[in-house]
Amino acid sequence: MLNSDLIVSIFCILLGVLFYSVTRDLSQLGGVFINYLLVVIGFLSVVVFIKGIVKPERIQFFRDHVERNGVISGITILGIYLGFMPFAGFLPSSYVFYAVFNLYLADERLSRKNIIQSTLLSAVVVTLFYLVFYHVLQVPLPTGSWFEE
Amino acid sequence: MFDSIFIGLEQVFHLQNIIFLTLGVFMGIIFGALPGLTATMGLALLVPFTFTMAPATGLIMLAGIYVGAMYGDSIPAILINTPGTPAAIATTFDGFPLSQKGMAQHGLVAAAFSSSYGSLTANIVLALAAPPLALASLMFGPPEYFWLAIFGLTIISTISSGSIFKDLLAGTLGLMLSTIGMAPIGGDVRLTFGFTDLQGGIALIVALIGFFCLPEILNSVIGQRKRTYSAVSVKPSFKVIREVISELIRKPTLMLRSSAIGTIIGFAPGAGGNIASMVSYNEAARWDKNPEEFGKGTIKGVAASEAANSAMAPGSLIPLLTLGIPGSPPAAVILGALMLHGMRPGAEMFTTHADVTFSFIMGLLVAAFLVTFIGSFGSFFFARIINIPSRFLAPAILFMTVLGSYAIRNSMLDVWIMFVFGIIGYISSKLKFHPAPIVLGLILGPFAEEGLVQSMLAGGASGSVISYMVFRPISLILIFMCLLSALWPLFAAWRMKKRQGLVSQEDANA
Repeated sequence: MLNSDLIVSIFCILLGVLFYSVTRDLSQLGGVFINYLLVVIGFLSVVVFIKGIVKPERIQFFRDHVERNGVISGITILGIYLGFMPFAGFLPSSYVFYAVFNLYLADERLSRKNIIQSTLLSAVVVTLFYLVFYHVLQVPLPTGSWFEE
Repeated sequence: MFDSIFIGLEQVFHLQNIIFLTLGVFMGIIFGALPGLTATMGLALLVPFTFTMAPATGLIMLAGIYVGAMYGDSIPAILINTPGTPAAIATTFDGFPLSQKGMAQHGLVAAAFSSSYGSLTANIVLALAAPPLALASLMFGPPEYFWLAIFGLTIISTISSGSIFKDLLAGTLGLMLSTIGMAPIGGDVRLTFGFTDLQGGIALIVALIGFFCLPEILNSVIGQRKRTYSAVSVKPSFKVIREVISELIRKPTLMLRSSAIGTIIGFAPGAGGNIASMVSYNEAARWDKNPEEFGKGTIKGVAASEAANSAMAPGSLIPLLTLGIPGSPPAAVILGALMLHGMRPGAEMFTTHADVTFSFIMGLLVAAFLVTFIGSFGSFFFARIINIPSRFLAPAILFMTVLGSYAIRNSMLDVWIMFVFGIIGYISSKLKFHPAPIVLGLILGPFAEEGLVQSMLAGGASGSVISYMVFRPISLILIFMCLLSALWPLFAAWRMKKRQGLVSQEDANA
């Protein structure tokens, strides 16, 4: 069980210190609001810290290892998708991401039917949105450095 | 004036114009509903097309887009906890819990009806009292914006479900995040950590998607492996439409108050629907007989937020049409459209160009009716979206969050910010450090900072900053409301104790 109050207050104090250290050179007008906020963050963090010692709020972060593994895997898949997009381009990376994520969330085992279903869905959804955003709304989606001449 | 109103109505009901209006409402709903696309973007994209149309027809179509978008943003807010635009943030507080209870259609119909109600009320005000109200809008100066932002922040006490200190801390962190980028006055570049893209600050929609949408998917779909987005399957019916509309009609105070808040905040230039919906939600919860229902899924919460943010749209046109001051970003695009058609805001809008002006106003009015119709019947379709199995819906939502975040500024940095905020939002929700106050701070921060710094400059020049910020009629009202809002939880607790004391005394006597 984690002490939520202590974690939150220590994180906010550290964040306050970081913000303080990088905002020291600001002009008076640019820094006045930030200075007030730093005082408030410091005060509230100390209050939450004291509460964390006196009457802590304890929480269980993950219910079980299945939840933990699921969340970590989900974040990893999304992170890899975003990491690859500038290199592979929007379309190829999105096709792969959509199909893989769809298969990952499926309860059944990996089967030919599942793979075909996910691939077709990925092709339809991604292409539809690509056409709307790229061709109609003229949003310059990443083309991918691997494919640039 | 009434002649012009009738001419305006006649114009709107021309077959060609009503078709363009309906098309505009549809497009507006789509622009509002897709995170990353906004009413401003929809209007800006379509203004060039209206150039070839007659001025009345073009403006009627723009009216449809504007009103449609103000409703459209509530659809993802209710269904997937992702506000289509920042103005729908308060809609998520009750809309998403309604969806989780299998009552998505209730939320959608409440949003459609209250959007129309708010829009209609504000339109009537716009048609009848625009010129005198425009003068009142000039009374909003920097101190008023500062106090308005502080008043908006008092909503934290309403939505707080755990430790109030943690929620206040989250709100302050949000205010701090709002300072990232170039200072509004002075031009200092702050907290960008070397990323030039961050000089424009953090895009609100990116933060909204990150803090609201991604944690929900990580928690329920990926973490808990829920098969559908909602635990209870939605079964839309006509009975729900009738029930919700009749329940809201029986709440005239809530509806009128929310619409009035939206209209008033709308005609204060720059304030926008974000503040309107939050202030309205806060007031609805405060004055309700059962405030504990708010935040757990009540149509009253959805109605309060949507009536206000939709009333803001016509409200923001009051200073635009009379003084040429756009009250919101979409109003600024409409200003461009007016000028494109050779019209200049001011007195001549209501004299020389009265026919076109009232066609536009009546377009907004009829679009409001169309929203009730399209929204109520569309709820049969929209509500079923959350019955789609998570394995199909979640990848589509994630894909759209990436696309929406990118489309705001065509920047991968925004996508990464959304991703990081999503992880922070997930962790903070688990730690009972709710992300809603962070987003509130992020939204209200620029108003608070600009108001404070400008007041310090102007107040310093006039002799006393304090008297400049406090002793002004609207400031005093707002300060009073801030105090009322901050002290209200204490009063409510005292009232509850007193009531419980009376009950136990009666029991003892019996």
